[in-house]
Amino acid sequence: MNLRQLIQPAPDWLDAPSPQRVAFVALTACAGLALYGFTVGYWRDPIMGCYVAVKLPLLIALTLACNGLLNGLLGLLLGTGLGFRQSLLALLTSFALAALILGSLAPITFFLAWNAPTPESPGASAAHSAYLVTHTALIGFAGITANLHLHRLLAVKAPTAAAATATLLAWLGGNAFLGAQFSWILRPFFGTPGLKVQFLRDDPFDGTFYEAVWHAINKISGGFGLPALCVLMLFLTAPILHAIYKNHRTTPRP
Amino acid sequence: MNPQDIPSPVQPPPLEAPLPDQLDLKTLFEALLRRPQALVARLAEPNHGATGRFAIMAVVSILLFGFVLGCFAKHEQLWAAPAKISAGLIFSALICFPSLYIFSTLAGARVSISQLAACLAGALALAGLLLLGFAPAVWIFAESTDSFGFMGTLAIGSWIIAVAFALKFLKSVIFATGGTQKAPLTIWSIVFLLVTLQMTTSLRPILGRSDVMLTQEKKFFLQHWGDTFGTSLKPAVAEKPDL
Repeated sequence: MNLRQLIQPAPDWLDAPSPQRVAFVALTACAGLALYGFTVGYWRDPIMGCYVAVKLPLLIALTLACNGLLNGLLGLLLGTGLGFRQSLLALLTSFALAALILGSLAPITFFLAWNAPTPESPGASAAHSAYLVTHTALIGFAGITANLHLHRLLAVKAPTAAAATATLLAWLGGNAFLGAQFSWILRPFFGTPGLKVQFLRDDPFDGTFYEAVWHAINKISGGFGLPALCVLMLFLTAPILHAIYKNHRTTPRP
Repeated sequence: MNPQDIPSPVQPPPLEAPLPDQLDLKTLFEALLRRPQALVARLAEPNHGATGRFAIMAVVSILLFGFVLGCFAKHEQLWAAPAKISAGLIFSALICFPSLYIFSTLAGARVSISQLAACLAGALALAGLLLLGFAPAVWIFAESTDSFGFMGTLAIGSWIIAVAFALKFLKSVIFATGGTQKAPLTIWSIVFLLVTLQMTTSLRPILGRSDVMLTQEKKFFLQHWGDTFGTSLKPAVAEKPDL
């Protein structure tokens, strides 16, 4: 098994979810995420880099483990015909692709961390913001690419394109919803300057990602949280739906 | 005429093998998810023994999901929430079953009472399984937030998604047994959903805690949700007097 098979999977890729194949894909995802994760945390502190190298694969593993039953059920009920192990392999393949993209960018992000002003310097706050934006953009790009890839995989297996899209959206919604909360629990990742370097915050289960986002949006918009959230959701969902719709036309049929 | 010009005969789709005589839990689980049509056909035959197994599947799943909801307030809610949710669901199913039979017959279905009871139990088992799928995520949030609004939305959202799949299964039952009209089942679905949502208020408190196990105060569920949406599990910290 090699990386090309993972990046350009054959139409029967999901037909044989053997333990070896699942283990290969999982290890690839872990390696890519660990490599990238190290560069994410490295800017704050090399120890932080090691923590994030562990936490990033852990985030994916926890999300997939907690949503495993739900993903399998949705895969069956939404008509793709995928069983539980096939669903797991499909999702792992998608995460592994994102991990490969991010892992391949790790030397560049390491270079970025190496050259950024240190967390102790006067320009640390601006550097931290730029660092956040850069990594958010990279993770967003890897995530969108991996999901379009997953959609193509599903479309090959599903009897209709609509079934593939429905399954993708259901998986995406469920995993994003829970994954965001796990990212909150497993914080810090980037390591805010001034806060101490630690594996988990002292109160990891205090509050939720969504409450924090809601308070932030409400504060920024001067109390107009709901309209601001609606506009934000529109800006986020419209390109995703457009990309999936366009993907229908490029999806290879068996 | 060349041999390659001869059109190949159209192959009919392969027939699905019938379900085995012994419907154990694993077979029922698989059939519910993968082969609902074959399951409906099998349930039309006598001595399938599926109703009880589906009911057990539904009750165990709902009890586990209820336990997860009870983890939000902990203490007596760890047993009270699963007990109330299970009792509420069984009660809702029982009071809605007569209308389901009438409405499915109105839709044109030729389904016996025992077959329909098995199908309703199967639909609830499917909803229960989906709730089990949501349970780990709900538990994570139950341990993280104190907001009744957030937890309530999450629990109700999970229930609505689960019941949507259960109702889709019931719809396939109606059409597989000769039904031709959608409207009666749509109306019944709305009624069933409203009944289960009202249960969240009639059996309150489910998420929070109270001195009494069941309140006697009558309230419509929207009003109750509106009253509690912005509240929190933790009492507001009283400000110290400025001495």
